Amino acid sequence: MRLYEKTAAELSGMLRNKECSAVEILADVQERIQETEGEIHAYLTFSESSMQQARAVDQARARGEVLHPLAGIPLAVKDNISTKGLRTTCASRMLEHYIPPFDATVIRKVKDAGMVILGKTNMDEFGMGSSTETSYFCTTHNPHRLDCTAGGSSGGSAAAVASGEATLALGSDTGGSIRQPAAFCGAAGLKPTYGSVSRYGLVAYASSFDQIGTLGRSVTDIALLHSLICGYDPMDATSAYRKYADCATALKPDIRGLRIGIPQEYFNQDISDDVKNSVMTALRQLTALGAELKEISLPGTEYAVSAYYILACAEASSNLARFDGVRYGYRAKEYTGLTDMYERTRSEGFGDEVKRRIMLGTFVLSAGYYDAYYKKAKAAQRRIALEFNEAFKECDIIAAPAAPSGALGLGEALSDRVGMYRNDRCTVPVNLAGLPSLSIPCGRSADGLPHGMQLIGKPFAEQLLLNTAYAYERSTGGFAEVAQQGGAV
Amino acid sequence: MNIDLPHIARLSGLRIEEYKLPQLQQDFEDMLAMINHLPEEPDMLPVDQDNCMQLREDTAEAGKFTRDALLQNAPAVQSGCAVVPKTVE
Repeated sequence: MRLYEKTAAELSGMLRNKECSAVEILADVQERIQETEGEIHAYLTFSESSMQQARAVDQARARGEVLHPLAGIPLAVKDNISTKGLRTTCASRMLEHYIPPFDATVIRKVKDAGMVILGKTNMDEFGMGSSTETSYFCTTHNPHRLDCTAGGSSGGSAAAVASGEATLALGSDTGGSIRQPAAFCGAAGLKPTYGSVSRYGLVAYASSFDQIGTLGRSVTDIALLHSLICGYDPMDATSAYRKYADCATALKPDIRGLRIGIPQEYFNQDISDDVKNSVMTALRQLTALGAELKEISLPGTEYAVSAYYILACAEASSNLARFDGVRYGYRAKEYTGLTDMYERTRSEGFGDEVKRRIMLGTFVLSAGYYDAYYKKAKAAQRRIALEFNEAFKECDIIAAPAAPSGALGLGEALSDRVGMYRNDRCTVPVNLAGLPSLSIPCGRSADGLPHGMQLIGKPFAEQLLLNTAYAYERSTGGFAEVAQQGGAV
Repeated sequence: MNIDLPHIARLSGLRIEEYKLPQLQQDFEDMLAMINHLPEEPDMLPVDQDNCMQLREDTAEAGKFTRDALLQNAPAVQSGCAVVPKTVE
């Protein structure tokens, strides 16, 4: 088995025992990238300092320094997370040449821990999409079937991890952008509780929902990286001020007596039979391990997509106002005055999906429509959050499909945009309520496409989600195997 | 619903080419049909006292960035300032 196929926890042990070096790990992952990237297109930019970072880890280890368990582990970073000196485009023409002058808090943490940043991964433009097809630069292909999408918006991160082009990855989840691509690519993806991971340096789409999270091929890997990046940050006003435990050292595969809520609204006719079967099979496995299933109801789920798109687009219309061609980013080549420059810059710099969402957000906030849309959406959001609160009186966690189907074919999402929005129905309720949710692979369709089951918890219940997934992983043999469709020898 | 898309575009700081308007009108109608599905209910948010926002001290930090670093991505710079089109005659 080559090094790129191993999990972060395995590589960490090998590094500690001097069975390999960080340079050797990086070289093997880079070789893997050479083999498969031409077909997958997971990355937009590669770091030129990754080998230097790997060497620094090896030198520190040789000096006998005590290192973080993730020191020397290769990491892919979604291209909306600011990396000092490394191009950060949000997959947009608007930021095609943008070089951040600072690191996001999560980047500072992974660098301090000695993780090796491989590069920046493809995504839907500014996170707006569910297939990585709205990227200005390229489309990421699913490593399991190249004629299918990797999902989105963190499709590049999910595909990189699933194909062995990275050991771990950072993504961001505003309405399912970690969990859905993780499900499509057969990876694990954690969307943490809102406020538990700093958003400082994450280019904003919808600030009240955006959350940085982790993607990997094992639960232990996810726990290691989440424990590293979570924590209070004074640079993020929405950061939750509390103590954060180390999820990795506290991982326990014991779920005896765990009450798992099964919301009927996530198993209706909108969800494919294939996906329902995969999730129910996984739930039977969890009951065999001692968990107890309880049917619950979350009736407000039917309003989640409407509420989400109103609120997210409203926030986007405000957040993306900063892209005006003055302080950074693209500027139109020809214009006749300031207003003309703004309009031409934004019209040429943004793609169609971004423009559509900015305009929808502007519309729902405009005079005469605020009460009809924004205010009602906020009320629906509160209802959904309250229903989750009530449900958690009857159960400890909630299990549901991470997406209504397996990965879509290339072009399918863009040919039916409203259908694409509706496909977010499984994931957006969690963002509206600010809850943590972990998607883990749970079976495949007849044609080999992975399915994902999401485990949803109370605020800051990441440990319980990870323990449940860990129990499932250990009892089923896990999902660490790298996808080989993408041209591997 | 009759939506004045050129007006919404102007409010958004965007310009939509004439030939794209019919398709955009259709897209907007489809999107509005989707987002219209909302319940009529009172606003009833309980404030979460356990997770209040904690704001940092409002103190200026000098030397965090240089002017050059902050202007390195500006499309046009002159004498340490971002250049914009003339707005006052």
